[in-house]
Amino acid sequence: MAKKVLIVDDDVDVRTFVSSVVEDIGYKPELAKDGEDGIGKVKEEKPALIILDILMPKESGIKMYRALKTDSQFSDIPVIVHSGIAKRTFLRSQKALDEFGDQPVPEPEAYLEKPVEPEELGAMIKKFLS
Amino acid sequence: MSKLLLIDDEDGIRKVLSISLKSDGYDVATAASGQQGIDLFQKEFFPIVLTDIKMPGMDGIEVLRRIKEINPEVEVIVITGHGDMESAIQSLHLGASDFLTKPVSDQLLSIALKRAEERLKTKKTLNNYANDLWNMVKEKTKEIKRRYEFEDKLVQRSIDGIVATDKEENIIIFNSAAEEMFGYTVNEAKSDMNAGNFYPEGISQRISDIFAGKDLDASDIFVGDEASVTAKSGEAVPVRFSCAMLYEGDKPIGSVGFFQDLRKIKHLEKELIKSERLAAIGQTVAGLAHGVKNILNGLKGGLYIVNTALKNGAVGLAAENKKIDYSMTSTLPFQARSLKRIIDNNETERQQKKLKTGWEMVERNIHKVSDLVLDLLSYSKEREPEYEKYNPNIIADEVCDLMESKAKEYDIDLIRDIDREMGEIYLDPKGMHSCLLNLVSNAIDACVFDLDTQKHWHVKVMTRRKNESGVAFEVVDNGCGMDEETQSKIFAEFFSTKGTRGTGLGLLVTQKIIKEHGGTMDVASQPGKGTIFTIRLPGKKV
Repeated sequence: MAKKVLIVDDDVDVRTFVSSVVEDIGYKPELAKDGEDGIGKVKEEKPALIILDILMPKESGIKMYRALKTDSQFSDIPVIVHSGIAKRTFLRSQKALDEFGDQPVPEPEAYLEKPVEPEELGAMIKKFLS
Repeated sequence: MSKLLLIDDEDGIRKVLSISLKSDGYDVATAASGQQGIDLFQKEFFPIVLTDIKMPGMDGIEVLRRIKEINPEVEVIVITGHGDMESAIQSLHLGASDFLTKPVSDQLLSIALKRAEERLKTKKTLNNYANDLWNMVKEKTKEIKRRYEFEDKLVQRSIDGIVATDKEENIIIFNSAAEEMFGYTVNEAKSDMNAGNFYPEGISQRISDIFAGKDLDASDIFVGDEASVTAKSGEAVPVRFSCAMLYEGDKPIGSVGFFQDLRKIKHLEKELIKSERLAAIGQTVAGLAHGVKNILNGLKGGLYIVNTALKNGAVGLAAENKKIDYSMTSTLPFQARSLKRIIDNNETERQQKKLKTGWEMVERNIHKVSDLVLDLLSYSKEREPEYEKYNPNIIADEVCDLMESKAKEYDIDLIRDIDREMGEIYLDPKGMHSCLLNLVSNAIDACVFDLDTQKHWHVKVMTRRKNESGVAFEVVDNGCGMDEETQSKIFAEFFSTKGTRGTGLGLLVTQKIIKEHGGTMDVASQPGKGTIFTIRLPGKKV
């Protein structure tokens, strides 16, 4: 059976686009529209890869990332952050949270700034799954 | 030792008196005639002169006159013959200090001399006083001059133009800033001009009234009014003008006006407005670019999906399929042929679905572009509202009809609370329709976004006649509400809480239209509780 890729994004256009790319290279897309939804889907579907947006309602992208990386059950699942904000900004926000006493989290396995070309996204997904 | 000159033609008297005077401690010089005495006096100063009246040649009276001419301070004592009262009186008139009658008694001489000495001393003291006074006056004059010059410099160096008048309204002070501002020299101003040439019109009239004693109750001080004065060149100079009456006791003796040149400030103000406008344009463009970029990404994504579907579907297709949805392809006729080729394939179902998804995405984003452009247009266009007699209730009903299905879809009660006594007012129906539609659709979104799923959501649309001329619309929801930060930003350009769904212009457009109606919009909101938007229009009842 095809490996599952979980796509977490609040923008329906992005979900559609990314899932189409995932399908086209032979994997099965699973969709979640925010972080809460995403965590549920991780538990249910056991995806092989997560493509995660950051700026979603209730900061749930940031929260979800921390939840994944601090839980030994999920911390091995590679995460491609796919966001409109610059990587530097994302890392700074994570670092700030570390300093507030949270457990430090590693950098994401890959970081793609929106907009991303389908070829680039496809290549990145393949890199983690083949 | 005091010096003394003794003039007498009689040898004997000179000798006797000299001896007596020397013994009294005087340094005595003698002269045998009036002329000799005067010659001696001109060479040497004697504070006391003793002279006989009756002398051949120049007599004592003439001696007295000459000496007083040379030095009026000298004490002259005349010696007269017995019974020569006339000469004595004449000499006293001419300024003699005393007179003695022959034969001169030692005692009387001594008294006369003592008195002369006293007078000399008094004179000297007086002189000293006078000198002291003079010096003091000189010192004070210098100080006053210094102060005057200081104050003059103060007036001259003032950045503000200073013009002062006397009570006839003649110009008495016209400093260099005033010269520069008005373009008249101080001499021109002082010679042919008066307060009326410089003070702003109304004020110069009031000042004339005060001087004339007509308008005593009027305020005699005018502070910081912005006014315009006319320079020699005819240029209207914007100034901040202050003026005060000057009094001596309670009598007005003059007036003074201060003119702050506002040309530079006005210029800077203009510059500031210009740069603010540029900044606003920059912000608008940045916000716009961001919005367009998001939509473009959506379009690109849709295009990718459509293209992939077409490419995949194109492999090994032959037959045509009548199920093709031409309405969908009508806007892209050149791809219709490849579409037809998709249909027959066994994979068709899947690719068709995908094509539909991609195409919907394109459509959705085209809608977004058109929403954005429409909002931008109505926000930026200087559109004159088209007013007509209209019942506001019609608008409320139309908007509710339009939103009914969307509300039902999300389980939201759409409640109408319409004031049926409304009547018609003048308003721009199209504009108000879009305002109310915007508020109601926001209210529905607020319920959709609400995380509290226990709530039974409602949106209430209310119309009320407020008074003879005013009406109010109210849109109330019990959705997610807004925190203070969000409330403070709702009228900022391109601010949206709806992610890519909102243009960030809706409330701006709404507010603009309401302002055009001369109305107001208020918002009250509590996070988690809901929001109330109130529109008040001052429309005239028809």
